[in-house]
Amino acid sequence: MSALGKVQHDFRDAVLNDEVSAVAALILGDGLTPAERLAVYRNNVMASLTAALKETFPVICRLVDERFFDYVAHEFIKSQPPREPCLAAYGAGFPAFLAAFPPCAELVYLPDTARLEWLMHAAATAADAAPLAPSALQGIAPEDTAHLVLRLHPSIGLLASPWPIERIWRENQATAEGDGPIDIGSGGVRLEVRRHGADVVYRPLAPATFAFRSALRRGETLERAFELAGAEADANPEDARPTPTQQVPKKIVPKENASENRDLSGGFDLTAALSDLFRDEAVVGFSLASP
Amino acid sequence: MDRTDGMQRSIATKVGVGLRAPHLAEILATRPPVGWLEVHPENYMGGGPALARLLAVRAHYPLSLHGVGLSLGSAEGVDREHLVLLKTLVAETEPFAVSEHLSWSVTEGVYLNDLLPLPYTEETLDIVSRNVSLVQEFLGRTILVENPSAYLRFSTSRIPEPEFLAALARQTGCGLLCDVNNIFVSAVNFGLDAAAYLERIPPDAVGEIHLAGHFRSERRGRQLLIDDHGSTVCDEVWALYGRAIDRFGMVPSLVEWDKNLPALAELLAEARKAEAVAASALVADVSAR
Repeated sequence: MSALGKVQHDFRDAVLNDEVSAVAALILGDGLTPAERLAVYRNNVMASLTAALKETFPVICRLVDERFFDYVAHEFIKSQPPREPCLAAYGAGFPAFLAAFPPCAELVYLPDTARLEWLMHAAATAADAAPLAPSALQGIAPEDTAHLVLRLHPSIGLLASPWPIERIWRENQATAEGDGPIDIGSGGVRLEVRRHGADVVYRPLAPATFAFRSALRRGETLERAFELAGAEADANPEDARPTPTQQVPKKIVPKENASENRDLSGGFDLTAALSDLFRDEAVVGFSLASP
Repeated sequence: MDRTDGMQRSIATKVGVGLRAPHLAEILATRPPVGWLEVHPENYMGGGPALARLLAVRAHYPLSLHGVGLSLGSAEGVDREHLVLLKTLVAETEPFAVSEHLSWSVTEGVYLNDLLPLPYTEETLDIVSRNVSLVQEFLGRTILVENPSAYLRFSTSRIPEPEFLAALARQTGCGLLCDVNNIFVSAVNFGLDAAAYLERIPPDAVGEIHLAGHFRSERRGRQLLIDDHGSTVCDEVWALYGRAIDRFGMVPSLVEWDKNLPALAELLAEARKAEAVAASALVADVSAR
């Protein structure tokens, strides 16, 4: 390793792990101690990364209060520092870190609320992609349809939670009025988050539609997505009704029209599900998996 | 650099401002008469709506890309993937300048999100020269390298910073971005002479000047300036800017403001003040001849 490489390794240890002795030996005091001088850089690194996390996870910050957020953010930064210079990509691991962080263990809804905030952030910063028209699939031979893999818009994210995270998120917006305490046992949600124009939007999905789109998002074939959606539809016949439009604050607004929730009772209507997908401008590419 | 067309004249004679996201909509709506704009490329590399807004602004203003993530001082070299993203953004936005810092932020793949200091040794000069040359070759253009603000010095440093920058420019053909606030911050923090530093920067290499505010703090009775870009430019830095214009001529100048971001009008007023300071430095220069 070059002498410079060693300095940088030791400097990182000082900034992230408080191990200042190795690099301190190479630093001029200039009237202060080397540790005091290193502390300026450590504070800059920690404060700037904590601010970035706060911007991405404002509801988590509100739920745990700012002092605790600073503490958990510091622990996260030390454990999983950024691996790339584009800070918009930093924080994907934060929800899982919260889930494994003992001091937060009682806040069972926290990791999924953080996942929702991450999906919203990811949707806001995702690349653009031109949606395909349904006619793009016209050349596919009928026998190949089962092996079709649809690529969804990069901004689309799907999240299921046993906790009422949508209500938690909504009532912890700076502008929220609040309708009183939230019963965390009041039921879970299946949400789709995406960008619509320049705005991030989200809406609840029925179980079968959620299973269908989640499978496509993972890159499953159309056949497999259909199977998984059908199983959900059979398991949740009573849930195959349209979900009501949500009242949410400005900037993050729900999309109109919930017709994709019209799952047929006792089954899953693939044609309708596909046409909804194209109508939502959700498909941006496709390929064929080898049979 | 091609200085022939109208946009180029606007870059050279009018002071630019660092464009931050909260000001973007107002800039687009009101199109204020600011000379040019500078952004951090890292904020636009993902594409999406952020890039679309930047391209809308770019249609009306000259643009400079001022990187904070390339880590020119990394012993392990610069990250190729990041360089590809930068090259793509350069092609999309056609900036008149691309700049970075004499610092490092990446080690063993970890990005520390700060402009960290380098020991100024022959080895470091070789490493930074190699990195700068690689970047310039890959981008197919020269870049400007900025003097950092610093809070510590290494006992192993053998080359004073201005001589290090001059050698880097000589070896790689890169230009220099002279940040007069950074010179002042480091000079106070280490008890050095800011004006003397400026005299040791080779004028021909300077392609841009930065101005910003800093935060004054104290540690055990010792003054320590923090380069937070969080306030107006102080009198000493204005004086240093006048000296810089006197020495380098009217090179593209920029006001940066990040922390405590003011209303756009206040930022633009600071840019107009810089134009006035530069103009009087040039007048004084002419009358002295």
